[in-house]
Amino acid sequence: MNHRHNRSGLTRRQLIKGIGAASLLPLVGSAPFAIGGQSAGRVVVVGGGFGGATAAKYLKRANPAIEVLLIEPNETFYTCPFSNLHLGGLREMDAIAHGYDELKDRYGVRVIHAMVEDVDADAHKVTLSTGRKLDYDRLVLSPGIDMRWNALEGYDEEAAEKAPHAWKAGTQTELLRSQLEAMDDGGTFVMVAPENPFRCPPGPYERASLVANYLAQHKPKSKVLILDAKDNFSKQGLFTAGWERLYGDRIEWVGLSSDGRVTRVDADRLEVETEFGTVHRADVLNVIPPQKAGWIAERAGVTDDSGWVPVKAETFESRQVADIYVVGDATVAAPMPKSGFCANGQAKVVAAAIAASLESRPAPEAYWTNTCYSLVGPEYGISVAGVYRVQDGVIAEVEGAGGLSPADASDATRALEAEYAVGWYNAICQDTWGTSPGSRAT
Amino acid sequence: MKRVFPIASLTLASLLLTITPLAAQAEETFSDAQLEVMAGGCASCHGTDGRLAGSVPTIAGRPADVLASRLLDFKHKEVDEVTVMDRIAKGFTDAELRALARHFAAIDLNNDNEPEE
Repeated sequence: MNHRHNRSGLTRRQLIKGIGAASLLPLVGSAPFAIGGQSAGRVVVVGGGFGGATAAKYLKRANPAIEVLLIEPNETFYTCPFSNLHLGGLREMDAIAHGYDELKDRYGVRVIHAMVEDVDADAHKVTLSTGRKLDYDRLVLSPGIDMRWNALEGYDEEAAEKAPHAWKAGTQTELLRSQLEAMDDGGTFVMVAPENPFRCPPGPYERASLVANYLAQHKPKSKVLILDAKDNFSKQGLFTAGWERLYGDRIEWVGLSSDGRVTRVDADRLEVETEFGTVHRADVLNVIPPQKAGWIAERAGVTDDSGWVPVKAETFESRQVADIYVVGDATVAAPMPKSGFCANGQAKVVAAAIAASLESRPAPEAYWTNTCYSLVGPEYGISVAGVYRVQDGVIAEVEGAGGLSPADASDATRALEAEYAVGWYNAICQDTWGTSPGSRAT
Repeated sequence: MKRVFPIASLTLASLLLTITPLAAQAEETFSDAQLEVMAGGCASCHGTDGRLAGSVPTIAGRPADVLASRLLDFKHKEVDEVTVMDRIAKGFTDAELRALARHFAAIDLNNDNEPEE
């Protein structure tokens, strides 16, 4: 929705090129690694982010004879991880952009740039925005998040053009960056942070950090105000200590108990009102609203009343609809956070489970790890890690493992973690799309 | 292993003493499909199959005993210059760490012809 190449922007020729001759004639001129055109089953993957692109690649790694179709509307994917660096003026959009060439050329994934408009779980069919219907043996949904428009009074799609969420990377990120650049010195950047659960729990606080870093250098009289719907947030102690250390009192955080919960947004006036009636005026207003699973999950019938997707812990198959697997931010996977790292890891478990089920083998046991790096400053990194297994049928953190960077870490360690954050970004993007920033063919 | 590193072999020796009797006990093994899943999280920072080089080191193709002793040290000892691997290694059994070490050691860094048929 906030991307450069939406479906109406595609010409018919581009669409046909995108669909490719191979997918129009399934058995002739098939994918490079299919063995003799004999398919081991067909898997349709919806969504080309960390979850979907990884699932497609690892399905092909598990068994090249599985026919894998990846449906993603955009030809270029902008990652939310490191989009805060763009907001802080530390990274160009091109350096968070990734494409699908490796999945197509090296792994033989058929990539179709379209939207999925319907899922018929009984018939095992999806309908694309092009009108085309695709059969599947197994379906993987990696739809990410959608905003709950109007959950905050006055905050809808139109309001987001004035008070960007920038919680899906792309044009929203660029809009917020341009507003920040245009802001007068002495202005206040107000961020509205949501209650749990939401995409990327430490994300708002990393964003506040990198905005403060930019302001300190370019608009030194300016401030950051975070109005938060909760009393605790991810890596709170580490962020708070880092803020004091690097930015003094430039960042002010107001939690739920101090009337931090915003209930109404006036995007025209750049004003927000809290639960107890305090009105805050912003010069730049960043509203990160409450969220839910991406729309197609609801359409497929895999969401529950919470708006998120309950899954079987061992395989991430939907608890509600057979043969549909769901990965990433859309799922209820706590204690795993909604992170790109977790989506990438969940996708590998799903790929292995599907490859096994297509051969009527039992799925391997699931293993997951997560490391979330956050940059408090360009050379000040912090992290939280976790290792997860299935225990008594639910996802559980392995006791004694994981945890936060030490509170008393040296400057050298913070600098090292900032370096590793970049190393992580390059690695996970290579693992997901095969492209590291700068190496992308355009 | 063909290449034996003094420090690594020392650690391995101390391990042999603590886990008795290792020689008599069959090492727990895992299927390839299981290892692929177990190793999945490694790729998220070290690149697919642990091949990527950068601030996060390459792990593919390094000797199994070196990798195993490093991983076991991360888990059991106070290691200097570690940021996150101590927190990760504690989530795996010793047998899993040794299996992961053998898995990455067996990857040929010079032959990147994935996917295999």
